[in-house]
Amino acid sequence: MTRPFLGFGLGLRTDHYDYVETHRPDVDWFEILSENYMVPGGKPLAHLDRIRADYPMVMHGVSLSIGSTDPLNTDYLAALKALAERVEPEWISDHLCWTSVDHTNSHDLLPLPYNEATIAHIAARIRQVQDLLGRRILIENLSSYVTYHESEMSEWEFLDEIARRADCLILLDINNIFVSAHNHHFDPMDYIEGVSVERVMQFHLAGHSYSGQMIIDTHDHPICDPVWALYEKALRRFGAVSTMIERDDNIPAFPELRAELAIAERIAADTLAPEQLETRAGRMRGVA
Amino acid sequence: MQALRRMQQSFLGHLLGRPSDAVDYIQSTPEASAAQRLGIYASGYRLRLKEALETDYERLHAYLGDDLFDQLMDAYIDRFPSHATSLRDYSRHMDVLLRETLPFSGIPVLRELERIERAFNHSFDAADAAPLDPACLESLPPEAWPGMRLELHASLSVLDCAFNSFPIWRALSRDEVPPEVAHEPSTWVVWRKDLVSLYRSLPPDEADALAVARDGGDFSALCEALLAHHAEQEVPVQAVTLLRTWIDEQMVVGLA
Ligand SMILES: [Fe+2]
Repeated sequence: MTRPFLGFGLGLRTDHYDYVETHRPDVDWFEILSENYMVPGGKPLAHLDRIRADYPMVMHGVSLSIGSTDPLNTDYLAALKALAERVEPEWISDHLCWTSVDHTNSHDLLPLPYNEATIAHIAARIRQVQDLLGRRILIENLSSYVTYHESEMSEWEFLDEIARRADCLILLDINNIFVSAHNHHFDPMDYIEGVSVERVMQFHLAGHSYSGQMIIDTHDHPICDPVWALYEKALRRFGAVSTMIERDDNIPAFPELRAELAIAERIAADTLAPEQLETRAGRMRGVA
Repeated sequence: MQALRRMQQSFLGHLLGRPSDAVDYIQSTPEASAAQRLGIYASGYRLRLKEALETDYERLHAYLGDDLFDQLMDAYIDRFPSHATSLRDYSRHMDVLLRETLPFSGIPVLRELERIERAFNHSFDAADAAPLDPACLESLPPEAWPGMRLELHASLSVLDCAFNSFPIWRALSRDEVPPEVAHEPSTWVVWRKDLVSLYRSLPPDEADALAVARDGGDFSALCEALLAHHAEQEVPVQAVTLLRTWIDEQMVVGLA
């Protein structure tokens, strides 16, 4: 396996800037939300530069709108590329979704119909983005609440085929698999087993909420046990994959999130061999 | 592609509350109909935009109270679909709404509070620039002074107020009961120093001089503005004093 393994990371959030800069906590890497740093200057970029000096980072965006039928947003891509030159991230990711059409933005990650026409459309656009950025990107699976009549295949077949045709990588969100499996009545293991091992570069873990019969991807709770169980199964299939926890609401103190990340480390240590968990930085993770 | 585009336009139309056949694209299941499933996205859309407006206008929110501010947000969202890539830019037309929509347009102090919050939001992440080294003034040859222009920090805004809007804003920032609205013509400056946003009021002479500098006027134009406030022989000293103050406060980033 030649996949780089960064270890166990957290999403960098403004609430935690001071803690991270003061205590330099034992976290292998941070994921930043790219859009938060696409600003001219001031505190966001000052904190970013300081924390980047101490930690590896990956960039995670929400505005690429790769599935839109509008032309690609070249201003956004230029800003993304400029930020990548500043951050020098390990990689850049966004979502397999559309967010806008007719230049009107939903500011949401909206699902796509899973069919051949959509695959061809998106694979071509990912190739364009990768050419422009000069690197491969990761695309992430969503939580979704609707199924289109026009879908002709499963979500995992759709995701995997796009990744193959675009020659891009995958950010597999374990919580999103769990949420969508519940909302659309599929077996999450079918999803895990339907994704090509060599394309998966990163995992997301997160908490969610129930709203009536549906599960909503709210990132405002700790990770629940069934998602931890699914994470373990994902590790068995994919091996050591850089893992991080997303928390966007109801954000606890940093040590509490760090403790939650320790659960992921422990599960990985119980599931994989120690040599698999050696990060590029030469650290053995999850080993006391 | 055309089919996908039609679906996306229909879906987005639904989020915007426009007549739409989006529901025809979506499967219903026993536990949730297509309309209910779409409703998750529609309420999420409004919630996210409201979050963005609440983040940008905390003081305006406190001043109006929850109900009126909610009414303001609903009016804003109905009138301004987002054409911004980032939610950070979503609220940029708030001044238009406050000017043109009742009952808000009948309360002029709201427009001043809005400008103040916008100035602080702008100062937070405006472009960085190293402050001007005070020693630059010493090395400036005498003949360069009259035509010299100041390059001000990108975070700086000069705000003319007709009301006591800054005292109201300050009380709201401290969770205190704001003073009654009163006519109180005054000029204020908002800017960022060492990554912290600051503000202060400007006496009339400084207000005029800083407005000249902001609008690109040179040092002799700045002195001319001060003639309205000071005797002619005092003007050069006054002008240099102001300049040194601005440099000390990191408002100036260059000379041209
Ligand atoms: Fe995610």
